Amino acid sequence: MIKCVVWDIDNTLLAGTYLESGEQPPEPDPELLGVLRELGRRGIVHALASKNPPEAADYVATVTGVPFAAAECGWGRKSDALRRIIDDLGLGADAVAFVDDDLMERAEVAAALPEVLVLLPEDAAEAPSWPEFQPAVLTAEGRRRGEMYAQRRRRQQEARAFGGSRDDFLRRAGTQVLIAPAGLGEVPRLHELSVRTHQFNTGGDPVGEDELAGLLGSARHRLVTARLRDRFGDDGIVGGVLIDRGEANDSGVPPGPGAARSWTVPLLMMSCRALGRGVLDALLAALCQRAAADGAAELRMPCLVTDRNLPLRLALAAAGFRAGAAPRPGEPALFARPLDGKLPGLPDWATVADWP
Amino acid sequence: MTAGERSAAGGERAAGDGERPAADGVLAGLAGILARVTGRADLSVIAPETALFGDGVGLDSLTGTMLLVEVQHQFGVDVAAEDLNLDSLATLASLAAFISERLPS
Repeated sequence: MIKCVVWDIDNTLLAGTYLESGEQPPEPDPELLGVLRELGRRGIVHALASKNPPEAADYVATVTGVPFAAAECGWGRKSDALRRIIDDLGLGADAVAFVDDDLMERAEVAAALPEVLVLLPEDAAEAPSWPEFQPAVLTAEGRRRGEMYAQRRRRQQEARAFGGSRDDFLRRAGTQVLIAPAGLGEVPRLHELSVRTHQFNTGGDPVGEDELAGLLGSARHRLVTARLRDRFGDDGIVGGVLIDRGEANDSGVPPGPGAARSWTVPLLMMSCRALGRGVLDALLAALCQRAAADGAAELRMPCLVTDRNLPLRLALAAAGFRAGAAPRPGEPALFARPLDGKLPGLPDWATVADWP
Repeated sequence: MTAGERSAAGGERAAGDGERPAADGVLAGLAGILARVTGRADLSVIAPETALFGDGVGLDSLTGTMLLVEVQHQFGVDVAAEDLNLDSLATLASLAAFISERLPS
């Protein structure tokens, strides 16, 4: 499934060459302009990689009216530009397509990044009908993804110029994280997160909407969402957590406060665009505090150990979670944290709504 | 600055510390990386026993990942692959020791 298309500019998105066109740069290619808009509506984001000065990217953004999540302009290798875009957006290379009219550029990228889908402009014109470009689930958050990445560029530009600590920048940006119980209306977004998140996903398997809706009515389980906004924009629901409060006792009621038991989190997931914005710290702190208040002695979180979820495991380590033993290949490690002693503090930008 | 240029800069610093034990060079290199990834210049002169998580440096998932990527570039040690629990990230000194023991010779 393609999440991002990286476009060349000269003779690809533009019907001509930007620097050789004198006073008036070329118009956008009308067919590809339609493709840009259609893929954007499907929640696929766009980026630019061009051997041009940065003004070319600004010009393309203006004439197409399409938000670009990242723009790499310069005279280095296009594969390096793609690597920076992939890192910047927190994507896997297999979720990226690259469109360029130049055979040498396509060959260079295909050799250096074999997982990237490399396309001719003519291919790209047909791409909207291909299955790789048709997201299985699409929600309001998904459709707004392109605009949110553009907000992210503005946020990052200001963060780079800020110079203080991350926490100070989060406060200055007016960051607000709201953690609250999920309702039925949020089930599609939680399902979408379970499909789309990989770096920040302790489980690894998608969870169906029916299953999620069923868990809403379970006395034993809790389903929680995390919303994120700041003065640059509203990201909506960026995180979700499934909580298992433990076995019911003989009377069918989960044990109340004081009973020796643990909370287990079978699934914790967060959109990678929330990386570095204090959401994971807030979620983990809220979980520890709520579990302790519910009488749990330990919070357990099975988590697959992969190269890609290092940021998630760092957040777990920072919140005091440790894995008992190295897991067998393909099985999750059981990260756990005792709930006596000092619990992680809730950051001042986070609010936790009451949940039953 | 590219990753390659960063590695070269780290290499020059290590060469300048030639007479001191390798661990000291690693400590100085780590403090420099920490200051860069957190954007806090004051961290370039922190004490070795400073905690990297929580009230000390306050590493999070983003800055922690950047730190470990830089460590791999500069020292050739993949901490994440060798330390499941990331216990080596307890303090600046414990991370420096972990790296020093594994420095490619």
